[in-house]
Amino acid sequence: MSDETSAERVVEAGQAAPATQVDEAAASITPRDAGNWAAKVDRLSVADEVSGFGYNVAGRRVAGPHQGFGRLWQRTYSVDLGSAVGPQELVADWRAHFGDFWPKGGVFHGALTGIEPGAVAPLEVGGGRGPKLATGVLVLYADDESFTFMTPEGHMFASMITFSGEEADGATTARIRILLRTSDPLFELGWPIMKRAEDTFWSGTLRNLAASHGVDDVHVQEESECLDRQRLWKNWRNVWHNAGIRSAWHIVTAPFRSQKSATGA
Amino acid sequence: MTLVHEVRQDNGTATVRLEGRIDREALSTLDAAYAAAAAGAPSVLVLDFTAVDYINSTGIALIVGLLGKARSQGRSMRALGLSEHYRHIFEITRLSDFIEIVPTP
Repeated sequence: MSDETSAERVVEAGQAAPATQVDEAAASITPRDAGNWAAKVDRLSVADEVSGFGYNVAGRRVAGPHQGFGRLWQRTYSVDLGSAVGPQELVADWRAHFGDFWPKGGVFHGALTGIEPGAVAPLEVGGGRGPKLATGVLVLYADDESFTFMTPEGHMFASMITFSGEEADGATTARIRILLRTSDPLFELGWPIMKRAEDTFWSGTLRNLAASHGVDDVHVQEESECLDRQRLWKNWRNVWHNAGIRSAWHIVTAPFRSQKSATGA
Repeated sequence: MTLVHEVRQDNGTATVRLEGRIDREALSTLDAAYAAAAAGAPSVLVLDFTAVDYINSTGIALIVGLLGKARSQGRSMRALGLSEHYRHIFEITRLSDFIEIVPTP
């Protein structure tokens, strides 16, 4: 007896639905986009192969814009790529080579498999060859046309960042939308400098992305809007997790850690 | 389906019933819905998601922005009619720290 006949017999007996009906029932319970979202985690963990860079990420919680301290900003960077690439091809390439498009000064320690929902990627930022600030991101969401990061506690920004490829009138636009507050009072003090660094960094990223698809000399459009001018003083204690302070401490104490591991203490 | 909205004012509470998808196309609708709700100077803003069938991460970011506006004007927010999946998303993104999730009656 074939499997197909067997399935029909079961249905006739009223004991179980065939596989197709079971799949439809499951689909009505599990939303079609469930696989695009990260699973809920209370504390972030970092994969072994990049754990050396994840000391400011492991054990932290994610921090959305309302867990931050400073004013709430919405900042958008976009670049018109014309018909050089479609949105899905663009986002597939962006997800696969995300860190490669970063300008000098940033290092993204993502998984070799690219940007996948639930992945936690440590990163380092800082100018020149000097010490870098270590932090990371959680991939909150990823689909064919966009992906979104959330930042962990201690990151410069409590934020949600969406990267997307959007089509209008036959042209593709690469866009980065950031919703952020600085995480704590110290980072808020540095905001006038950091916002210029952000503009340079993300504009550079979009230029590199455009160039990789053969589009040079692009104009990056920047928009910035303050959605809430209030600072959230109740979150001033976020300074405890400040990744700048902790990165500096990690670097200063590195010789002592080496000595300790060499002596087996 | 594009997002549509309907606003009801009741004793200091504005309820915004949303229907359709919340994605990047929803920005103008959400802005218009918030403006209509805020016109009644409510202290509580209820977003009714019962008829919302899809929210992506851009949609979540729009809701985060809406929450920012509401909080800056001293309004608390509640979410009604969220499916288990989207309750879970509100928890991952920690929106649930600030938006009270009301069980569907």
